[in-house]
Amino acid sequence: MLPLRTFKRQETHWWVSCLIFPTAIGLSLAICALLLKLQGKPAIQGIGLLFQGAFGSHWAIQDCLLKAIPIFLCSLGVAVAFRLQVWNIGAEGQFALGAIGATAAALQWPGLPGYALLPLMAAAALAAGGLWGFIPAVLKLRMRANEIIVTLMLNYIAILLLDYLVYGRWKDPQSFGFPMTAIFSDNAIVGRIGDTGLHWGLALCVATGGVLWLFFRFTRLGYELKASGENLGAARYAGLPYERLLILVMLLSGGLAGWAGFLEASATINRLQPSIMVGYGYTAIVVAWLARLNPLSIGLASFLLAALRVGVENLQLDLQVPAAFGGIMEGLILLTILAGSFFADYGWQWRRRSA
Amino acid sequence: MNGSPPVVRLDGITKRYGAVAANQDIRLDIHSGRIHALLGENGAGKSTLMGILSGMVQPDSGRILIDGQPRAFRSAREAITAGIGMVYQHFMLVKAMTVAENVFLGYPGVLLNRRRMEETVAQLARRFGLDIDPAARIGTLSMGERQRVEILKLLFRDSRVLIFDEPTSVLTPRESEHLFDALRRMAAQGKAIVFITHKLDEVMALSDDITILRRGSVIEGLATTAVTSKHELARRMVGRDVLLQVQREPYEPRQLVLRVDGLSNAGLRDIRLEVRQGEILGVVGVAGNGQKPLVEAICGLTAPAAGVVRILGEDWHRFYTHRRWDGNLAYIPEDRRGLATCRNLDLVDNFLLTTRQGFCRGPWLLRRRATRKALRLIRDFAIQPADTRISARQLSGGNLQKLVLAREFFRRPRLIVAEQPTQGLDIAAIQDVWNLLLNARKAAGILLITGDLTEALMLADRLAVMSAGRIVDTFPVDDADKLDRIGLMMAGSAA
Repeated sequence: MLPLRTFKRQETHWWVSCLIFPTAIGLSLAICALLLKLQGKPAIQGIGLLFQGAFGSHWAIQDCLLKAIPIFLCSLGVAVAFRLQVWNIGAEGQFALGAIGATAAALQWPGLPGYALLPLMAAAALAAGGLWGFIPAVLKLRMRANEIIVTLMLNYIAILLLDYLVYGRWKDPQSFGFPMTAIFSDNAIVGRIGDTGLHWGLALCVATGGVLWLFFRFTRLGYELKASGENLGAARYAGLPYERLLILVMLLSGGLAGWAGFLEASATINRLQPSIMVGYGYTAIVVAWLARLNPLSIGLASFLLAALRVGVENLQLDLQVPAAFGGIMEGLILLTILAGSFFADYGWQWRRRSA
Repeated sequence: MNGSPPVVRLDGITKRYGAVAANQDIRLDIHSGRIHALLGENGAGKSTLMGILSGMVQPDSGRILIDGQPRAFRSAREAITAGIGMVYQHFMLVKAMTVAENVFLGYPGVLLNRRRMEETVAQLARRFGLDIDPAARIGTLSMGERQRVEILKLLFRDSRVLIFDEPTSVLTPRESEHLFDALRRMAAQGKAIVFITHKLDEVMALSDDITILRRGSVIEGLATTAVTSKHELARRMVGRDVLLQVQREPYEPRQLVLRVDGLSNAGLRDIRLEVRQGEILGVVGVAGNGQKPLVEAICGLTAPAAGVVRILGEDWHRFYTHRRWDGNLAYIPEDRRGLATCRNLDLVDNFLLTTRQGFCRGPWLLRRRATRKALRLIRDFAIQPADTRISARQLSGGNLQKLVLAREFFRRPRLIVAEQPTQGLDIAAIQDVWNLLLNARKAAGILLITGDLTEALMLADRLAVMSAGRIVDTFPVDDADKLDRIGLMMAGSAA
């Protein structure tokens, strides 16, 4: 037997939590370096390239922020559902539906002025994404269908729906056969902040994060969500309206991911095309867990994982590592941090030799 | 004490959970052929100590000596091999298998002859006076019979030390007597018996040696013959005089607050009962005879399949479609940790669980006002520690129960359903809870569901005896004739 003994901590020291995060990141970077080495690439230089790619220039940081926007919104949505212990892993599909909804509005009324069209697109995205969250909620309540399976499968349906539209009805006649819609009219594009490369979606993120924080902290509904998520038995005992809460949460969760789709289509790509799907919805799940569902931490974690994506692109260009390397790193970080959280809840000491 | 060396000696056992010492330098001898009672309030460290002895928990320091040899158990299996076995409160049996199969479960060997298995078990049962049919399936057995199977499992493995964790909590008075006979018989044949309890009568009736634990330490080890009365034992256990008496004013029943007529549900047959404001109706019986479904039907967790349930003059469906948060029904569930509170939320959040409607303005929750109110209740009910920021899991059982009572009484209920309100509490907390309930009787009718007859006699104005999903009889608590036959009624015979 190991001469180590573990025991459950009564409370976690703040410095332990502070240490876990950097240690876990460091450990996962070390494993990545090892993986690079195994492929015969320069390990230390590779990690350097990763950082340089993500933080090396003011363009790089701007790129990180831009990618953090959809991750943040999807992750907020996912976290809302997770709070109620509803495992919505369908942010990817809800994101796709949001993009589809916004595009429908943009293509339908291209001539409307921006102050009318953009809210219309946002509302359409919210509704479409919300619908994609509503379906698994109803199936769960009516037929006891497991939401993990349903949300996951709806992702594929959403992506196929998106493909169907851009290959068929919505295909731009001038696209030389490429699957994409026509470029949006200027009124349908979310504007830039001053002369930076950032768009006003960033402000939407800040506002949404703030509103959700207020919601959970100061409203009765927020309290009911928190209590139900803590203990379903107690929720039933206290007469909390679990069914209504579940529907609300999934609508909200889907709607937020839908907004991410709207911003991507409108501000980043300016049209709808299959390449809009790059897995933000899955990254969002990692982010929500890393941030322990706290809106503020979700902001930080979104930025870090966005930086990872940007950094890995650099690594791909310079060292010709496969694209999957980014996914591997994402997984490594999640696993090391989850493993590290063991040390937040448990302490250990050397077992004294007993006679 | 006798002169022979102890079969088990605990030498300076210490076990800490964080800052709390669950066991502090415990020294204890267990002798063959004697019945050793381990007595202590809830949270005194009894369960931890027995966990250590049975290999489930590893001590931080100290030694366990078996026949004078130091041994360390790293698992329950090692403890069983060393001859120490435990009968838990919750039985660990395979319901679909027979008695003999359960006894042989885990026994090394590939081919087992069914008849020889049953014979072996029957022989063992006869030897220790444990009456049982080895071919019966566990699912068809009563709690008392299941307990016998657990005991047989240990005897079959030649356990020399048998530990019982509150063995009578699931038994009828009759079954308890039966168990005591078997325990005496086992002791007579050289087994060492340890039993954990906080029922003083049992300690006086059964044990040879008594060890009293308080706050993790052994306060006293003494022979039962040296104890003169139950009262004295209680005083030694708590460290101060507790009067296990409460003042009960004569009641004057007023309006009807609960009427159940012909209620049938899964596990319930034709239930009839009435509760009036100003009285406590005690529902007594052995656990698992329909108390749970009865409470669930009354408290709105399951709809009644047949019959009438009228609460505060309203039909069940009407009552539960729009009920106000106050002046209504309050439910104090048995499972205070799993149902009545959220362990990771702070005390204000837990206070708000059923009172949130009283602290709302539009969509906003008036948390500051709720905090003030909660703090006042915490002081009024003497809940320790008096801090609203700690989470519910940090409260002891007694304090948590007082928090639940404080919250539920704050709603000014007119009907209170209290389910095993003092189970697992220490004597001081029991006293507090009893007084609180008696006090609440002034404004409300109380349905008290309890497995503890003493509690029912102490608190109730009328008793309803439950057995096999039916109410066998309902009578005033001063009906001496019927009280005499209460054990028979619990076992199911008509009044």
